[in-house]
Amino acid sequence: MTTSAPIIDVKDVTFSYAGAARPALDGVSLAVAEGDFLGIIGPSGAGKSTLMYAMNGVVPHYHQGEFYGEVRLAGADTHETSLTDLSHTVATVFQDVDAQMVAAEVEDEVLFGLENFGVPHDEIPARVDEALALVGITDLRERAIASLSGGQKQKVALAAVLALRPRVLVLDEPTGALDPASSRQVFSLLADLNERSGITVVVVEQKIGLLAEYARRLAVLDEGRLAYCGERREVLAHADDLLRIGVNVPRATTLSCMLRDEGFPVGRLACNVDEAQELIEGIVA
Amino acid sequence: MAGMLDYTAGNTMLHRLNPLSKVALALGICVAAFLSDNFGFLLALLVLDVALGFVGGIRKKTLKLLAGLAGICAFLFVLQVLFIRSGTPVFLFATDEGLRTAGLVVLRLIDATMPLALMLALTPLNDLAGALVKRAHLPYKYAFTVTTSLKFVPVFTDEMGAIMEAQTARGVEFDTRNPVRKLRLMLPLCAPLLITSVGKTEQAAMAAEVRGFYLRDRTSGVRDYPFRALDAGAFALVAALIVLAVVL
Repeated sequence: MTTSAPIIDVKDVTFSYAGAARPALDGVSLAVAEGDFLGIIGPSGAGKSTLMYAMNGVVPHYHQGEFYGEVRLAGADTHETSLTDLSHTVATVFQDVDAQMVAAEVEDEVLFGLENFGVPHDEIPARVDEALALVGITDLRERAIASLSGGQKQKVALAAVLALRPRVLVLDEPTGALDPASSRQVFSLLADLNERSGITVVVVEQKIGLLAEYARRLAVLDEGRLAYCGERREVLAHADDLLRIGVNVPRATTLSCMLRDEGFPVGRLACNVDEAQELIEGIVA
Repeated sequence: MAGMLDYTAGNTMLHRLNPLSKVALALGICVAAFLSDNFGFLLALLVLDVALGFVGGIRKKTLKLLAGLAGICAFLFVLQVLFIRSGTPVFLFATDEGLRTAGLVVLRLIDATMPLALMLALTPLNDLAGALVKRAHLPYKYAFTVTTSLKFVPVFTDEMGAIMEAQTARGVEFDTRNPVRKLRLMLPLCAPLLITSVGKTEQAAMAAEVRGFYLRDRTSGVRDYPFRALDAGAFALVAALIVLAVVL
């Protein structure tokens, strides 16, 4: 077998929320291979969250509206499979970290999903330990969630879904309420999980710098349409067009685009400062 | 009052008590307070309430709660004394009957409110829900509804605080000392608060559903909530209080 079937297959999906004037998603087709790390970016109202909801089944199960096209998650049609059944494959971290907590203490939060999905009771303590260790919050186990910082809460939300050992992890702006250092921590954790455990990660994010550094592929949405989708450097190479859409490109990438346009030999676009330094040193030498 | 219902962690005797015993104890004190007409007994219940708070290691919270209730009760006391006209006048408009009834009412109110608030401060909501489902066979969705609504109280208080702060920064006089004026300023904020709360509730419901909420049944919970000797003591205390309330 040369190519395996994608774990998420979005085929020509158009979705309008009930009562909305224009579709939130307009003819979007996109495939995510197992083990991929996909970043979804676009200006406000471009349909990023809706695309994410279409991938985890929240659309059309939770949000009513007109849905055309098909989404397959690990082969199952999200339209015909219940949200609960889809959740065996995909775990979701929502944007509002406070609202999605069901428990008062960290340990109980992690227990919730494990208990619901009927994980044998003797396996549960080990799974809780594993999930907490995976995101590095073993020391927070007994803490009250209300007493944690935004970054810590985000990690608790992650641990709670990782305990379920999902094949796919989708996250809606996981760094929305975080400072730059905590944002970086969350992303390096995601990259680590993706590399070490092979979990497919799909993340909606506004901070292009983080996506440019950590995501393997990027999908850019513009007014419900998929403007670009591909390997991150390929997508970032369209700096001017991205700027027109409303997506800022990291300065390192803009710089390499400018050098490329001036005729300098730019083999690979730089996505961060280190890479830009390397590139310029190469040119100067 | 923010944080009054929040759980305070600890390992005291009351923390170790089965959540259902704590509920029984709280309700028992309420029932005893309403059954009794005896001042001495009602005062003893008040002492018991405060003692429970101290044993549970939440001194500050208990005293704050007591002070808050005392404020409300002072107002109620005056109202009652004003409106009860039977009995012999003892001082200005106050009659002996009015003073007695007003005293009983406010004491009962404090006696009955404190144990419930203390119980919530000493029991993690998830344990309360867990015990209600496992031991009292309450369907999980009801337990979840109760715990979630209680969990949202501090979330909305914070939200309201944030909206008020933002409005104060824009020149709205929320720092006024006039309570009527403050209330009138707060009323229009109910709409944005309601909208935020609907959004939050929706996210909470989605998050619970994608983590298998609908698969849960009585046997799902890992924790068992056995009754121990300490719990037998709590139930004995409840029985004794009710008997005393009737006898005295």
